[in-house]
Amino acid sequence: MSLEPLTLTDILIATVPLMLIFATLFAFTTWLERKALARIQNRIGPNKVGIPCTRIGLFGLGQPAADGIKMIFKEDIVPRGADRLFHLLAPILALIPAMLVLCFLPLNFPWIKNIQGLVKPFMLDGAVIFFFAITGLNTLAVFMAGWASRNKYSLLGGIRAVAQMVSYEIPLVLSAVIVVMMVGSLNAAEIVKEQADEYWFILSPWGFTAFVIFFIAALAETNRSPFDLPEAESEIIAGYFTEYSGFKFALFFLGEYIAMFAISGLAVTLFLGGGDGPGVTMNPEDQGLATEAFPGLSAVWFLAKIFALIAVMIWLRGTLPRLRVDQLMGFAWKFMLPLSILNILVAGFAWHAEQLDNTIITVITWVISFAVLYGAASGLNQLNRGKVRPREYKYAE
Amino acid sequence: MTLLGSGIFKGMAVTFRNFVGSYFHRERLPTNDYSWRTEGSLPQHAGDYPKEEGEQLRDTTTVTNYSRNFPMLLHDGSEPMDTIRCVACQICERSCPPQCIYIEKSTEKKEDSSGKMQFYPATFDIDVSVCMSCQICVEVCPFDAIVMNSQFELSTPNRFGGLLLHQGDLLKSNDYYHKIHPEEAAARDKRIADEKTAKEAKKKAAAEAAKKKAEAKAGAETEAGDEKKEVAE
Repeated sequence: MSLEPLTLTDILIATVPLMLIFATLFAFTTWLERKALARIQNRIGPNKVGIPCTRIGLFGLGQPAADGIKMIFKEDIVPRGADRLFHLLAPILALIPAMLVLCFLPLNFPWIKNIQGLVKPFMLDGAVIFFFAITGLNTLAVFMAGWASRNKYSLLGGIRAVAQMVSYEIPLVLSAVIVVMMVGSLNAAEIVKEQADEYWFILSPWGFTAFVIFFIAALAETNRSPFDLPEAESEIIAGYFTEYSGFKFALFFLGEYIAMFAISGLAVTLFLGGGDGPGVTMNPEDQGLATEAFPGLSAVWFLAKIFALIAVMIWLRGTLPRLRVDQLMGFAWKFMLPLSILNILVAGFAWHAEQLDNTIITVITWVISFAVLYGAASGLNQLNRGKVRPREYKYAE
Repeated sequence: MTLLGSGIFKGMAVTFRNFVGSYFHRERLPTNDYSWRTEGSLPQHAGDYPKEEGEQLRDTTTVTNYSRNFPMLLHDGSEPMDTIRCVACQICERSCPPQCIYIEKSTEKKEDSSGKMQFYPATFDIDVSVCMSCQICVEVCPFDAIVMNSQFELSTPNRFGGLLLHQGDLLKSNDYYHKIHPEEAAARDKRIADEKTAKEAKKKAAAEAAKKKAEAKAGAETEAGDEKKEVAE
């Protein structure tokens, strides 16, 4: 199949709505997160900003707008010793890769189909590899911010971020490898189609293990709690963005949330069947475009799944305390890495067993692989478990 | 063997209960939406902040039963200093992480509420500008003398002297404790009573045992004495 050369209009139609949609979703997500965290802590959360000059609160839905206005009008302070150029470039560099990888998500927006029937400017054959290659830049932006600020807290945050992101990149990629092995393609649309034909990969034992590893590593990659060490405010103020204010800070914030959307989107693509769902049929011959009950249903499913993952992220943030640095590194290297390597082996055997096309053998394989993976996870957990002592009172009794 | 990761799910269940419960049970909310209450309306729920000056402004019943702020000292009767429970053992002073408690022990003993001779704190100060409300002093106190108060209107124009609470400010009666934290106070009183009865029973048993032992010993001694006499002879 040969694609016609793209015009500028095609590219704009494919990219601009994406940016607008995700920027709006970002604003909504900040509100959602503040509300959910507040309710988890038995507070009310933002509920005052609604329609201006009235007392209509609208559950505080105006809060993102108020925050945005505040951010734009705030003074932008650059420390005297800072490297001004890189101090400026860092938040931009944090945002660009996050925005860029959104294009690789197989979101079947209706307007994409409407032009020429086949405009998929970013439907690459190596989308998954490209995704990881570009999100790797995020580490650079974070360290750039930490280094250019000339502040020890910023630098500490930057160093922590590099150590953490490099460590968790490995289990992240290794768990994605399983899906690539199963499908035999790096194309995101192919992966979604395969899941629509067979089953969502989260439903198989190796797929579930891979999804859990992927999700935990994704939390660490996006600096989300409980892995928010680079910006741990009780330890190092705000980490790498201590010296950022005003709009640059807002850009960092935006970049972080867009990265959350992007990595959740990848998790949905790899494990949760992408835009697959009731009312959607994936067409094998049409580059992953779907037949839908009404236009945009597939995209709605996709975004709903992304939001389900984001909700879990917020929930975890409200539940878990922050890890220590040694726990963080130990978890990545001693638990996640061995488990994901074992998972690749298990998935390989399981793939060969499925080729036999015998239901009984498949069922047995699933049971055995589930037992092996669970046993391995428990064993690693037991091996890594430190001694927990009860709390000691120094002076009483 | 527990299920792998079950601790995380347990924690998530707790936060989920809070999340849902805060929509249905207003008494869960320790924060108060006071700014939008209409003019002249009185506090309607436990948790409503008093709006007008003097309208129960210092009445701590306007916060929920689960609100905890800074420590206070308990006494049992009408005369605070005569029935103070604190015996100035200074465990809380040494356990306090930010070291906001300052105690000076009295030089002589005096009777406490049960008539026993005890030391008492000559000075007991808590710097609430330093206190982090961790409640460790409450946990370590062996005499149930220090518990958490829920009084929140503590702002003062003087940031050094004004925020240093002295013994007189800290002493509250057990009745007041029952008023602000009913469940906790009842549980604590029950525990104290149980411990007291257990102790008395033990004491009684010990006294009887001692009596028996003394009798036996006395008998043995007389025998031993006789033997000695015989040897001497």
